[in-house]
Amino acid sequence: MLRLVVGVLGLACLIAPAAVAQQQPDTVLLERGQRLYKENCALCHRDLGAGDPPTFPALRGSDQLRDPMRVVRTIRQGRDRMPPFPGLTAEELSALVNYVRNVWADGSSNVTTEEVAAVLGGLEETLPMGSVWDGVFTEAQANRGQAAYEGACGTCHGHRLNGAPDDPDMRSTPPLARARFLRVWQGRSLATLFEFTRATMPEDNPDSMTEQEYVDVIAYMLLLGGMPAGDAELQPDAQSLARVVIRAGR
Amino acid sequence: MTTKDDRPSKDPTPNKKALNRRDFVKTGVVAGLGSGVLLDSAEAQAQVPASGTQQTVWHYEADVVIAGGGCAGLTAAIRAVDLGASVLVVDQNFDLGGRMLHSAGRMSLGGGDPVQQRDMSGESDREGFVTVAPIEEPEELDDDVELLFTDLTDWSVVDPKGQAPYRYNERELARAWAENCPATRQFLIDNYVRFSRVAGTHGGGGLSRARLATCFLMLGDVTDIKAGTITAEDAGVADRERSSAFAPLRMNNASRSVGPNAVANGAALSRCLEFSAREKGVQFILHRRFDEIVREQPVAGRVLGIKAHYSPRQHPESGEVLQSLWQNGNIDERRDTVNIRARKAVILASGGHAGNPEVRSMFYPALREPAFPTSGRALLGSGGQDGSALIAGLRIGANLAGMQQNLSYFTTFHISTRLGTRDAYTGMMPGHPTFGFRGSAGFSVGSSGFEEFIAVNQVGKRFFNEVRLPARPGPSAYPGDRGAPGRGLDHTPLDWRNCRKEWVREMYNYDHGVHAALALNEGSEAPDYYSGPLWAVFDQDAVDRNGWELRYPYVSDNGYFFQADTIEDLAEQIYAGHEFQRVPLKYLADTVGTWNGYVESGADPEFEREVDAPMNRIATGPFYALSIMVIWHDSYGGLRVNGRQQVVDMQGQVIPGLYAGGEAVGGFNKHGLGKGHVHGYIAGTHAVEEPSL
Repeated sequence: MLRLVVGVLGLACLIAPAAVAQQQPDTVLLERGQRLYKENCALCHRDLGAGDPPTFPALRGSDQLRDPMRVVRTIRQGRDRMPPFPGLTAEELSALVNYVRNVWADGSSNVTTEEVAAVLGGLEETLPMGSVWDGVFTEAQANRGQAAYEGACGTCHGHRLNGAPDDPDMRSTPPLARARFLRVWQGRSLATLFEFTRATMPEDNPDSMTEQEYVDVIAYMLLLGGMPAGDAELQPDAQSLARVVIRAGR
Repeated sequence: MTTKDDRPSKDPTPNKKALNRRDFVKTGVVAGLGSGVLLDSAEAQAQVPASGTQQTVWHYEADVVIAGGGCAGLTAAIRAVDLGASVLVVDQNFDLGGRMLHSAGRMSLGGGDPVQQRDMSGESDREGFVTVAPIEEPEELDDDVELLFTDLTDWSVVDPKGQAPYRYNERELARAWAENCPATRQFLIDNYVRFSRVAGTHGGGGLSRARLATCFLMLGDVTDIKAGTITAEDAGVADRERSSAFAPLRMNNASRSVGPNAVANGAALSRCLEFSAREKGVQFILHRRFDEIVREQPVAGRVLGIKAHYSPRQHPESGEVLQSLWQNGNIDERRDTVNIRARKAVILASGGHAGNPEVRSMFYPALREPAFPTSGRALLGSGGQDGSALIAGLRIGANLAGMQQNLSYFTTFHISTRLGTRDAYTGMMPGHPTFGFRGSAGFSVGSSGFEEFIAVNQVGKRFFNEVRLPARPGPSAYPGDRGAPGRGLDHTPLDWRNCRKEWVREMYNYDHGVHAALALNEGSEAPDYYSGPLWAVFDQDAVDRNGWELRYPYVSDNGYFFQADTIEDLAEQIYAGHEFQRVPLKYLADTVGTWNGYVESGADPEFEREVDAPMNRIATGPFYALSIMVIWHDSYGGLRVNGRQQVVDMQGQVIPGLYAGGEAVGGFNKHGLGKGHVHGYIAGTHAVEEPSL
């Protein structure tokens, strides 16, 4: 699974075999959609939309793509274990939805930015967007996270969080802090990190910790990565986590 | 192999407490000696007429004599004592446990073993330490001997190198192993070993069911094997930069697979077995290398005993002879060579050959390079993993088996991500008696850290894409394999689709960097054409970017870490200061200059580094060089044995009175601990059934 993730992020762009659309949307918009797909979706749904069922559903052949406005709402608000993406604009959403539907559904009804904006207007907006530099966790939470980390994560990801296990028998793993972590994760939200981690980790028993433990471990990762602690704890709630973006610097 | 130490003994008097000479003096060497173990040199020096032409002077004797006190040897010793035999174990190290002591303590057995059954029922262990719920579903634990045997001989399974580890296993060995797994797990539990919840399985453990459990102890106020507790200091968790004599490797947090305050690794296995062995009266001669097997005729007749020479492990600075953690049962014997008679059988459990460059050349000639001592050299010394069983066995006519299996195990040799230490495999920190043999703990940058430097060979030239250099393939996998838990039921044994070429193409993941690292270069000279040491070269900016702690105990002035204000000076320091740097790094300055040009242009035409990771200039002094080591991880290939662990000769006949197990044995590609303990259990069982001389 990790190998695949690295593969997705490290590969040059592959143009997915596009189904022949009835209405050809313009190429610029499709390319924009593809780029947005790679940045936001391919982590789980993979380059070719095959996902990794049952953890990550396939888009290819999914009837969930039939209604474009349902897709818009799913991306914007999240659904089940899929995190919300509140940072995407109406324009970006329309490019993304049209790309996904052109490649993996029949793409017969493209949506316009205006139509998407109308749907978004009906959705309740809550918190403003922020970043991991805004003091989004507390030191006490990070300390709890360290204890959970050492039990569940540290054996493989190492005490420096650099992906170097202390046990020489073990293979290296992805780093969880600092530059090489940020290279993979910057631009994504903590909700994506939270749900991806729950779905895949610990590798030998995914989803075996409590939601609170996962979010505490993320607090510890942020602390080790040099992000400042604040007054309020990070909450194990995808809607609020989705509004905290991982950035390399302020 | 180093020559033996011929220094005269300082104290020729053996430790009288450990000996029981009364029975011997009365009855001589005839059979039926109960627990008597020695023949004292000062007394009789009994002349035992061998049935051949030569006579051997025996200094000690026991029913069962075991070469090696690691996972196979300690298990065999306890098993034989349990069945009424007297047992003497000879080990070359200053302490017991071999590589087991330094392992992660993860052991895949199975076949419906007691831990699988415990977890299926949802029960805790008998002491109530295991408080977390079972990790695997009952169906994943529903195992039996037939399924385990099928898994261990499944021709269809491949690994990410596209190789098939199981199809070459000797079927008789696999069958015996599978049949003895449940009994061995119970045997270990009965000898103070505590097992966590079962989680997944091992490369080599078969894919169809969950079979892996980890050995643990509970943190407490005292270290007490009977109570199952260990102090934080002994577990190495009190201070990350300090090891104890008890556990060379800091113990892992096992809260997820056991419960709060559980710590796990090979020390929780090795020390418990050692404690039990000493409690039950097994006797030990440490600091003594096993050299030869004594047989009635050079290549015929029964095995009578072994010869072993004194080879003390001394502290590299003080010269003091290192002491084992526990002493009861030790025989303090310092004569140069002693001959030890086995009334029933000799069991060879002295490990593999990963530490012997000459033997390694049988498998991979380029790995004769002594710059890469590998596989726990600091912990075990030059006598560890030295191929002694294989060498001695060949001399008396034994056959070998599984000689290709080193190459068909996914991780036999690879590039370590731990830099800047003489022994890049072990994890000892100051506080363990062997830390001085490595001089630094090394600094593990992880695979991803390799993008921060250039890797150069002994003449200072790059040789591979650094990012891909340390990549290691994983264990065997099948189509749709999603990892533990719950991975086994989906595997269909013996299904051709497990190795269809489409699956192999999808799964194959091997970069061959280790082979580039061992390649000939301009500094390779006849007759050996050694490839020479490897260096990670970087600048102060890399240190600052990563927050690397280049300080003691991670690095030290031990010839594996250098720092200089210019690249030219760095190259000179390496040449002057590293024991295996045979030629100057004459291209290093040019290589760094060329690299910086590549960074400027954003492309590395030689190795296409830009595809994998950002490239950084090496321009801000001071400059650093840390050794990169090729390590030989485990040993496969060794003596041929049958299903009773009896060594078999070149004619296919059993060599009477000779048994072997663990990494000394070939023909069975299975991860170390599971292999060793079950082999020891089988060998101990059958050795006792031999008629007494």
